[in-house]
Amino acid sequence: MPSRHVARWSLVGLLVSAALTFGTLIAGPSYAADSAEIFVVQGLPGKVLDVSVDGDSVAKGVKTAEVAGPFKVAAGSRKVTFTSDGEVILERTFSVKANSSWDVVVHLPAQSSGKPLVTVFKNDLSAVPKGKASLTVAHVAAVPPADILVNGKVLFANIANGESLNLVVPVATYKVAIVPTGETEPVILGPVDLTVQGSSLNRIYAVGDPDKKTMTVAVHVIKLTTKGSGKPSKVNTGTGGQAVGQEPPLYVNLLR
Amino acid sequence: MERAGFGAPLSRRWGALVTPLLVVVLTGCGAGTGVPSAGPVGLGPASSSPEKSTAAGPVPNAREGRQAKSTRVRFVPEKLTLQGGASAPVKPATTVGGELQVPTDVSHVGWWDGSASAGDPFGSTVIAGHLDSATGGIGFFAKLLRIDVGTKVTLEGSDHRMTYRVVAVQTVAKEALASDSRAFDQTGAHRLVLITCTGTYRPDRGGYDRNLVVIARPIGLAH
Repeated sequence: MPSRHVARWSLVGLLVSAALTFGTLIAGPSYAADSAEIFVVQGLPGKVLDVSVDGDSVAKGVKTAEVAGPFKVAAGSRKVTFTSDGEVILERTFSVKANSSWDVVVHLPAQSSGKPLVTVFKNDLSAVPKGKASLTVAHVAAVPPADILVNGKVLFANIANGESLNLVVPVATYKVAIVPTGETEPVILGPVDLTVQGSSLNRIYAVGDPDKKTMTVAVHVIKLTTKGSGKPSKVNTGTGGQAVGQEPPLYVNLLR
Repeated sequence: MERAGFGAPLSRRWGALVTPLLVVVLTGCGAGTGVPSAGPVGLGPASSSPEKSTAAGPVPNAREGRQAKSTRVRFVPEKLTLQGGASAPVKPATTVGGELQVPTDVSHVGWWDGSASAGDPFGSTVIAGHLDSATGGIGFFAKLLRIDVGTKVTLEGSDHRMTYRVVAVQTVAKEALASDSRAFDQTGAHRLVLITCTGTYRPDRGGYDRNLVVIARPIGLAH
């Protein structure tokens, strides 16, 4: 580990407010035949970007950690162009399948001296049980592979720039921190309080560069359908009486 | 300072390989339609609008996001095996009118479809099965009446497997199962909860008066 200076960040509430800001923009997925939806995630610190797809402007003035979209695009190969003050910063092609959802992320590489990247992530819109959330953490920051601690435990291990990891979790507020893989410090980001939104895909992007104190998160929430039935109040699994006399030993309740 | 990173020194910063393309982009002199397979944008009626970009030459592909290698395996259980080898198929079970509808086949057990998948980091994976039934006789989960703390229980599904170890066996009054036990709790560390009936058989009151609840904790991760 080089002797990089890594500040401890206190961003309590930031995730929540970001989620509130962007989460409300987004309705459930709806596709026309042969089209896909894309969102643009702005992960370049200190930049305000204009975005066009196949030459058509789709968003202007997108600030760091903001999410723009959804934009409906035809399935197939698309081209995204990021400009700042009229200058092209980055232009990339990517391919989308019909009836699917994608996050197109412009961000820093693992080494902050490298050139910016565009990474495209497919959004998993699988249904989640009621009261739960699909939580994806993606690493698009200028840091080496990292562990992500949730409530002090490593739940997302050894994620490299351009990688993501998904979990299904109950709706709650979690303390999330990012540390170098296998270490407990220096803390690259957090701990931040993250309240995940139920019945939703919560995509959390770690963006920025700790050396320049620009680490932050972009939050993208997409509403999902739910599956599964509600909590039972009764389980009635003995209706014959044949097992009478086979009660468990008396010590069983001593173990409570 | 920010502009310096992306402005004039761009070609130096970004290396020789991409320099020709970027020069073309920045000077705007390319007149070709060099973007391969970039069809109409499909943004509503404007989808037939001509290519506005002046880029010449192929545009590099974006990187595809990858799943981290440490991604956890999670699966819906399809088979339950008790230490010693006895096993039962696991079928999804739904709650109807507050009652979990376990499979009528007493050799099968039911996974509550609102509970955690095997391998999830939080919440109970709830599997209930018959102790007995009027039509099917003694059920597979009658074996839980004699299960010991320390016994291993393995779940399988979708070519994955996860093993748990029993940490507690308890009984609870049937009407207090939801309120007085954490059997259905979907918060807290992941665990496997097996439920059947026990206690006094009272056919006039719909069966046994207690539930047997077996709690098991994961041994390692699903794989």
